[in-house]
Amino acid sequence: MSNSDVNISRRSFVEKSATAAAALSIAPGIFLHTVAEAKPAAEAVTDAKRWGMLIDTAKCASGCTACVSACNTENGIESHGRPRTDQQWIRKVTLRDKQTKHEISLPMLCQHCETPPCVDVCPTGASFKRDDGIVLVDRHICIGCRYCMMACPYKARSFAHETVDNKVDYQPRGKGTVESCTMCVHRVDEGGTPACVEACSEAEHGAMIFGDIKDPDSEISKELVKHGGKQIRADLGLNTGVRYRGI
Amino acid sequence: MQQLKKRMHNTLITIAGLAMLALSAFAFAGEKPSFAPEVPHPTNGSTECVQPEDEMKKNHMNYILHQRDETMHNGIRTKQYSLKECINCHVPENTEVRFGDDKHFCSSCHNFTSVSIDCFQCHMDRPMKGKATVMGENPHGAQMSKPVSTSIADTSKEGKSNNE
Repeated sequence: MSNSDVNISRRSFVEKSATAAAALSIAPGIFLHTVAEAKPAAEAVTDAKRWGMLIDTAKCASGCTACVSACNTENGIESHGRPRTDQQWIRKVTLRDKQTKHEISLPMLCQHCETPPCVDVCPTGASFKRDDGIVLVDRHICIGCRYCMMACPYKARSFAHETVDNKVDYQPRGKGTVESCTMCVHRVDEGGTPACVEACSEAEHGAMIFGDIKDPDSEISKELVKHGGKQIRADLGLNTGVRYRGI
Repeated sequence: MQQLKKRMHNTLITIAGLAMLALSAFAFAGEKPSFAPEVPHPTNGSTECVQPEDEMKKNHMNYILHQRDETMHNGIRTKQYSLKECINCHVPENTEVRFGDDKHFCSSCHNFTSVSIDCFQCHMDRPMKGKATVMGENPHGAQMSKPVSTSIADTSKEGKSNNE
């Protein structure tokens, strides 16, 4: 009994100090807005919000993979030593202008389209868009046909070829289904920020901003109004939720 | 006449048989038959489930399935009927028991009844470190007294026992 008491207090101490550390490491103005707006657990998401991301390629350091490793740690994604088939929810891409030799680096992830091609082609309805704009795979009904992987112009989805040993309780993943960036929906529903955005900020690059693009007062909306944000393959007319600056 | 007698005799036997069956059903309703599996109870001191035990035995799958779709598609993350909370309460932290072992909370019954489930190909079969429900921290405590909002829930039993 005394043993478990010790454990409880130790646990709460660790939790409290972790919260304090997180609060200190938050960059001013970036997360405060979303943290204040935690949705009550019993409330369904609505289309009053649309979650989005703005990525400033000028601030994204080439060679830095903080966002990628944060994503892998958060969601329990492990490499099986086969890069061609390993799951990948976010990856770093380097673009080089042949003429000017100018290089830019950017993280590539699910663009959370308003009209997602992956949802159009899914034969079972497993690939769907939530009302708040987050595109997800319902792995309960995914049959692993991989049509969505073919349809996605951003190569954002991966197939789980292996059983998942390193499980986490907030992000169930398993063999035989397709998966992709969930915009850390488990964090977002609790008023949090995606792991990649947090890692980018912690690495002091601050290249990624996350927020509600329907809220004119959010950090991301203000930035978008001020500087704009381009879609990758805007010609496809998908109205992506992830926007880039400097491409 | 002989034939009629024989037919009556048969009817009597059938009625007696039915009565015995009914009686045995009553007998079983009261106590657990000897061949039933041992289902591990929560070790954290928790004594009440989110619904009465009989209801959970019969309908836990409906509660979990309903909650699954609500969480996945609508982002509703209430704890009451979430599979994660079942595990957090019913499976001790740091346990060596895994899904598939007869001693695992889910497997104890599912193995016995030969009902295979694939929940744990993706979901964790034990609490994450630091997530197990500890005594006095029953996540359902606050919600138990409230009426259940989901349409599948049958609260009549609970209501009665509260009034008595």
